Amino acid sequence: MSLLEVRDLRTHFFTRAGVVKAVEGVSFSLAKGEILGLVGESGSGKSVTGFSLIGLVDPPGRIAGGSIRFEGRELVGLPAQEMRALRGKRIAMVFQDPAATLNPVLSIGQQMALAVRAHGRASEAAARDLAARTLTRVGIPDAAARLDAYPHEFSGGMRQRVAIATALLHGPDLIIADEPTTALDVSIQAQILAEMKSLAKETGTALVWISHDLATVSSLADRVLVMYAGRIVEAGAVGETLRAPRHPYTRGLLDSLPAMARPGEKLNQIPGTTPSLLSLPPGCPFAPRCPRADATCATDPPDVVTAGRLVRCHHPLEAS
Amino acid sequence: MILQAEGVTKRFSPRLSIGDRIAGALGAKVDRRAVHAVTDVSLSVTAGETLGLVGESGCGKSTLGRMLAGIMPPTEGRVMVAGAAPMKGRHKATTRIQTVFQDPFASLNPRMRIGDSIAEGPVTHGLTTRAEAPRMVAEWLARVGLDPAFATRFPHQFSGGQRQRVAIARALAMQPDVLVCDEPVASLDVSIQAQILNLFLDLRRDLGLTCLFISHDLSVVRHVSDRVAIMYLGRIVEAGSAAKVYASPRHPYTQGLLDSVPKLRLSIDDVANFKPIAGELPSPLSPPSGCAFHPRCPKATALCRAERPALTARDDGTLVACHRA
Repeated sequence: MSLLEVRDLRTHFFTRAGVVKAVEGVSFSLAKGEILGLVGESGSGKSVTGFSLIGLVDPPGRIAGGSIRFEGRELVGLPAQEMRALRGKRIAMVFQDPAATLNPVLSIGQQMALAVRAHGRASEAAARDLAARTLTRVGIPDAAARLDAYPHEFSGGMRQRVAIATALLHGPDLIIADEPTTALDVSIQAQILAEMKSLAKETGTALVWISHDLATVSSLADRVLVMYAGRIVEAGAVGETLRAPRHPYTRGLLDSLPAMARPGEKLNQIPGTTPSLLSLPPGCPFAPRCPRADATCATDPPDVVTAGRLVRCHHPLEAS
Repeated sequence: MILQAEGVTKRFSPRLSIGDRIAGALGAKVDRRAVHAVTDVSLSVTAGETLGLVGESGCGKSTLGRMLAGIMPPTEGRVMVAGAAPMKGRHKATTRIQTVFQDPFASLNPRMRIGDSIAEGPVTHGLTTRAEAPRMVAEWLARVGLDPAFATRFPHQFSGGQRQRVAIARALAMQPDVLVCDEPVASLDVSIQAQILNLFLDLRRDLGLTCLFISHDLSVVRHVSDRVAIMYLGRIVEAGSAAKVYASPRHPYTQGLLDSVPKLRLSIDDVANFKPIAGELPSPLSPPSGCAFHPRCPKATALCRAERPALTARDDGTLVACHRA
């Protein structure tokens, strides 16, 4: 049985301007220890998908339909108290901006101890000890001595390590990481990626890695989901999907990367901009920007799965 | 040489409060250390060339860009733009160099119609008349791929990519010889980033622009630059033709930086190998002795700890500041 089964997830925001369907019919599953990359541009619904998994969608948003099964247990509609018992213990989250997630007026040791005690009794000494050991695991030198430091005394990379250590405290089965290295410098990002990869391998923790950066996802994840306007447009094994993408949007994203072109040559850009979620075109939301679109694209494209690759397109590119 | 910097240094000294000054006078310990943002940087850019300036946050690349653009005077050293100093005293004194900033939401006045934002500079400097301005604005909007009818709109009515197009139009309407681009695509989505990079390449070719392109993104810099300069803690550690530096970096920091960039892994056999640089950036308040990179450098020796290596030319023309390269 897979660790996580998401079926037809729909998360909508009921705003004054209308219903924003941020996530519309997303389905995927995740095995124990697997790393799943969730890729898309702003407004694609990748972050809202992550927030939905851990039950952190705030009004005016709510999960409007679908199912999220975690080890067979339905999370949609779970009472807040039961969700709270899971959150931080079995499912943890790492956010983009560690400066915003850490409490500035508590020392690192104090806030990590709070997280330890949120899920069971522990003496002050035991909580500090667990915090220090976890900090050491994420590569913070001399961790015991740094427990009394405050977040502002840490660099951005170190703060993100603290946030990751806090997520690891209870040995969760699933960590959702929302753009955790986007705010960091390349050399620090590489350190964190290397550590996350080995931690996931060591502990068997499954990871949902949300990112706009295809290169980061390709070097970390086992499988990738590409999202556009709230839907999954393509999903498959990461290497294959990026080597031979079948959805025109995935192809377009890859062609937009300077690394894929010869220096100084024009990039094969996608025309136009992402559509407003309030006024999506009928059928395939990518059709207005798609070079392969025709009249059939005004109807919803089917989900086609071939050899483990899901493509949602009327006119997919040839499989190679 | 259309753009030149000679021994440019920028230090930011702390502005002491009256309380601190009194405390200092009475013998208390007051932190007077200055931030060494840029130290002794010399570079030159020839007409039509694009120089990429790369480095991580806090390396001084934006400060250097601002000094070159005449926005900020250097503490020491000299900047020349088209044969003249870009500043008189504390004020910008040239229109020959213009800047495109990272965040077009912050750099465009939210209360001004974008047509007025674009026209303001050229009208003030007599490059066009008030009567001619609307035609000039329409021309520039069309040139950056926007509908000329947008001139009467306000910045909030545009998406991030469109705002960056407006910012480019505003800079180019001043008919500069040199354009400084400070992280112009860093806050844009991948597909929009590609559109802006394409626009930039087109305009550069059509107008024969000289550019200083500042970015932390190594692949973007490689794409647009003829030459690159890598900065670390306020100094240039390596500079040369983009093709040579990327293909065979010599400075251990450049090597580490290029190894740190996640590569697109296109098959399962293509194992991702992270070779991160150990440690973190030192504080620019108290830079390390000798070579500033030595605490993180795998090749550092006693010489590196004691003596700062000079930036010297190697046989292929690349400039490197390293004892071991």
